[in-house]
Amino acid sequence: MRNKLTYTLLAGALLLAAAPLWAHHAFEAEFDQNKPVTLAGKVTGMEWINPHSWIHIDVAGPDGTVTNWMIECGSPNIMLRRGFTKHSLEVGTEISVKGYQAKNGTNRANGSSITFKDGRKLFVGGSNPDIPDDKK
Amino acid sequence: MNLRFVGRPFVAAAGFQPPKLAIFLTLTTALVFAQSYTPPKTPWGDPDLQGVWPGNMGVPMQRPAMFGERTTLTDEEFAKKQEQARKQAQADSESTAASDTRVGIGPPSYWNERGKPTRQASLIVDPPNGRLPPLTPEAEHYRKEAKLPGEWRGKADSWEDLNIYYRCITRGLMGSVIPVVYNNGNQIIQAPGYVVFRNEMIHESRVIPLDGRPHVSPAIHLYMGDSRGHWEGNTLVVETTNFTDKDAIGSNGAGYPGDPGYHSDQLKVIEKFTRTGAKALEYRATVIDPKTWTKPWTILLELARDDNYQILEYACHEGNYAMSDILSGARAAEPRR
Repeated sequence: MRNKLTYTLLAGALLLAAAPLWAHHAFEAEFDQNKPVTLAGKVTGMEWINPHSWIHIDVAGPDGTVTNWMIECGSPNIMLRRGFTKHSLEVGTEISVKGYQAKNGTNRANGSSITFKDGRKLFVGGSNPDIPDDKK
Repeated sequence: MNLRFVGRPFVAAAGFQPPKLAIFLTLTTALVFAQSYTPPKTPWGDPDLQGVWPGNMGVPMQRPAMFGERTTLTDEEFAKKQEQARKQAQADSESTAASDTRVGIGPPSYWNERGKPTRQASLIVDPPNGRLPPLTPEAEHYRKEAKLPGEWRGKADSWEDLNIYYRCITRGLMGSVIPVVYNNGNQIIQAPGYVVFRNEMIHESRVIPLDGRPHVSPAIHLYMGDSRGHWEGNTLVVETTNFTDKDAIGSNGAGYPGDPGYHSDQLKVIEKFTRTGAKALEYRATVIDPKTWTKPWTILLELARDDNYQILEYACHEGNYAMSDILSGARAAEPRR
């Protein structure tokens, strides 16, 4: 019984220790939870920069007007180790993104979910270095 | 030598059931082995510490109180931790597929490095309970007055409302080494009379002279301090002084609960780098700041060399779109005049 309690506590303690507190920027200060956006368009470029990478896409509105949006991603090193390469998202690739627009009203959004036209998700199937070696 | 560390697993082992004895013996063997490891020499005769030694996110800064003075996990605890890491990795992968239903303004979980689980119970190894010593009354008072990490959010009247990490200035000496959720690369490069300690986060390269020259004038205060190194046997000892009081150790929480927070300009850090194997390096840093903490405290990082790790340039300023977004976002939220 005591052991069980101990391990429950331990599990809690370890989970707490592993709780992700994002290090560099406060997303709620940058993005507006009241401005969800769904964007579909063609990739026009990718900035592999720190502290965060950005995907650029051209999005056509209902009236045909094209606007360029920037989608925030993780740091280049994280992206690389997740299996993302410069060939993963070539210029012209059609993607759709769900995220939240920047509070300043510009065409910038975070991109929690990025989907290819055929339904594949970005990052799925990439290498996952976080899995312990003996579990790979 | 690190006699205190050698002694601690014994104390810990005494209070527990097997297989702790096995751990104790393993640890003892490892330590004896570590102490007997002779690193290769550079062409000019210094112990060779060179290589890329990435930090590991898998160890908490402060030890959960239930571990007491025990520095290492038991087999069972370690197995549990590995299982949690496996589940976390799976959840991270699945979150990419499931994220349509859980889109939020925060970053997706798969942006994070999780680190590899190890048996080490906490980065802090001294005090023996693995927890930060009490603050001085002065520092306690300052922390009550100062904005807590996160409290500035929503207030961004000036860039100065954002801490120096957000502003891409630095994470300071300790914060640059303490592993966080991404970009934990460290590299050691040596030249005759110098050691360079390079940290990927956020593009620091400390050039440490070994020639015994004195520190700069006490009137000079530097974000990364003023470092001087010397060899004690095969251990590189680096003493750093002349800090500013504008930085925090593990500033911005650094991904750990129990943010060690701001230090004073009286901070002194003593780092010890010891190769303990062909691919193993022990990094200890003792924080001495009598204006902030009532006692010195020490962290231990067990670093593993990774020749495949690629340190990428962290050109933080030019990529820091978030800075202008946060400030202009706060302006956009202001009532119209």
